[in-house]
Amino acid sequence: MNHFSLSSDAVDLAQLRESLRHSGSGGFCNFEGWVRNNNEGREVSGLEYEAYAELALAEGERIIAEAIARYGVLAARCVHRTGVLGIGDLAVWIGVSAAHRDEAFRACRYIIDEIKHRLPIWKKEHYLSGDTAWVACSHTERAHEHEPPAMHAHHGHVHHHDAPVAVTAPAFTPDYSRQTRLRDVGDAGQAKLAAARVLVIGAGGLGCPVLSYLAGAGVGTLGIVDGDLLDASNLHRQTLYDARDIGQRKVDLARQRIAALNPTVSVHTYAEPLHAGNVVDVFAQYDLVVECTDDMRSRYLSNDAAVLTGTPLVLASVYQYEGQLQVVSAKPGEPCLRCLWPDEPAPGVAGSCVESGVLGPVPGVLGTMQAIEALKILLDLPRSAGQSLLLVNLLDVGTQRLPIDASRGCARHGGCAAVAQRALAQAQRDHDVDLVFASLDDAIAAGYRLVDVREPDEIAAQPLHAPSCCVPSAQLATQAGELPPGRLLLICASGRRSAHAARELRGLGVRDAYSLAGGVLALRPSCDRVPATTRSRSAS
Amino acid sequence: MTTVNLQYYAQLREQAGTGGEQLSTAAATLRELYDELRSRHGFLLSSDALKVAVNAQFSDWDRALHEGDSVVFIPPVAGG
Repeated sequence: MNHFSLSSDAVDLAQLRESLRHSGSGGFCNFEGWVRNNNEGREVSGLEYEAYAELALAEGERIIAEAIARYGVLAARCVHRTGVLGIGDLAVWIGVSAAHRDEAFRACRYIIDEIKHRLPIWKKEHYLSGDTAWVACSHTERAHEHEPPAMHAHHGHVHHHDAPVAVTAPAFTPDYSRQTRLRDVGDAGQAKLAAARVLVIGAGGLGCPVLSYLAGAGVGTLGIVDGDLLDASNLHRQTLYDARDIGQRKVDLARQRIAALNPTVSVHTYAEPLHAGNVVDVFAQYDLVVECTDDMRSRYLSNDAAVLTGTPLVLASVYQYEGQLQVVSAKPGEPCLRCLWPDEPAPGVAGSCVESGVLGPVPGVLGTMQAIEALKILLDLPRSAGQSLLLVNLLDVGTQRLPIDASRGCARHGGCAAVAQRALAQAQRDHDVDLVFASLDDAIAAGYRLVDVREPDEIAAQPLHAPSCCVPSAQLATQAGELPPGRLLLICASGRRSAHAARELRGLGVRDAYSLAGGVLALRPSCDRVPATTRSRSAS
Repeated sequence: MTTVNLQYYAQLREQAGTGGEQLSTAAATLRELYDELRSRHGFLLSSDALKVAVNAQFSDWDRALHEGDSVVFIPPVAGG
């Protein structure tokens, strides 16, 4: 069966829709493009589509296959009309069926964006005033990402047509003259940057300036780790993105912006947070890591992996109007994050942008400082002597540099490497703490007893309508002996507190402690017996 | 009594309602000083979760207080 077709006649929509039915489908997403009566201020009476059929069919099939592979959907089809169409006529039809709605929406979006961008199809508009014009179809910005420019080369041969399709940008040659003019940088420094591989963990408030400056500076390879989708509440501080991007994966958006800023940078994306099982392998592929998440677990995991792989790590974090900056050199005898704060604090202790609020430029300043530290390391520029924690208060614009005495930190517990090794081994043992359940009923049926570890006011605002006992996370350790026997599924709002509490319980000998991944926020009000709320998803 | 200059960061600043203050205290060590401040300002964090610095140097909690010390309490922060 052809997944993509061109049709010069009206399309049988019912038949198309039926062809996508599948017993494993939980969702069907359909996009229809229609002919509208105006374009750019001119009244349109109709239009004509003309396709370079041979190429359009081959490329269309390729796009559908990409969408199926990329999003794991069960089936997808697309029909594009050719010939003369009137106002209200269907111009393009896309249908996707998938196990879940999210991938169906995303695959549908991918297909329409790629079709508009890549297919050699031209549109001639007929205006009420009697004249006509060929207009570009392929000027859209694709929602998911831009491939490197080289990959567009195979579309080049369609451009000889007279129709004003989008023209592939001419090859871009970066101009780094403003930085190579610096005596300490020069061509040799630029070559170091081009050869450098930097991993940026978190593409949020801190990560945006880091990614922009490192890409602009010509760092040859950038890795980006972020599991979040862009939320409207991110836009006041996350300057790589705009309002059209909401709901899309930040890694894809960031890749797209970097490709636009400096197409010579090679970008690798990781759309899931790193974990104890892969963090060392990933770090080993980079020369330097910049930690930009709002997640304490990630910061400690990054610290341990940096120490164990000898990869320099630039840490920063912000709180309201303040920030902290620490460079972990990962050299033997030099201090790490655990030399200051040996153990990851319980969630809630450290505050987050969601809970505590933050003024947008605060992560902007700290992220910019991280970018400077990263460039100083890569270029081997002069830096402050010794290791320190820098405190930045942007209300009184004060900074305080506190030297860290490595002999008073991990050195007392066998050294940073031994401490990191133990912490990572513990994290690996706890990797099965997070459990995903389609519903609370499934968890109960699987033999788990539910323990709600939220605070009483949170529970009152959104109670679980399922049998559970309630013990706030801070009191779990002291009440461990009173918990019901058997397998426990701890539940909090987002899954962070419950995961931390489950690990804590395991440390106290309660081996069958687990955490509901994603917490109450991940439950579906319709089938999980929790009332709906308007609370938005948290994001760094 | 010893007079010390205190600076608060992050959550502590918020809970104290000020970025810093001068205090006359009977506390002999940093630990005693922080215990006093906990009850005074209702700080939620225990001293294990904090770093303390005196006169721009990180310090142990057992350090004795001296007249005119500048003491900074630093909690870990996670925002990004």
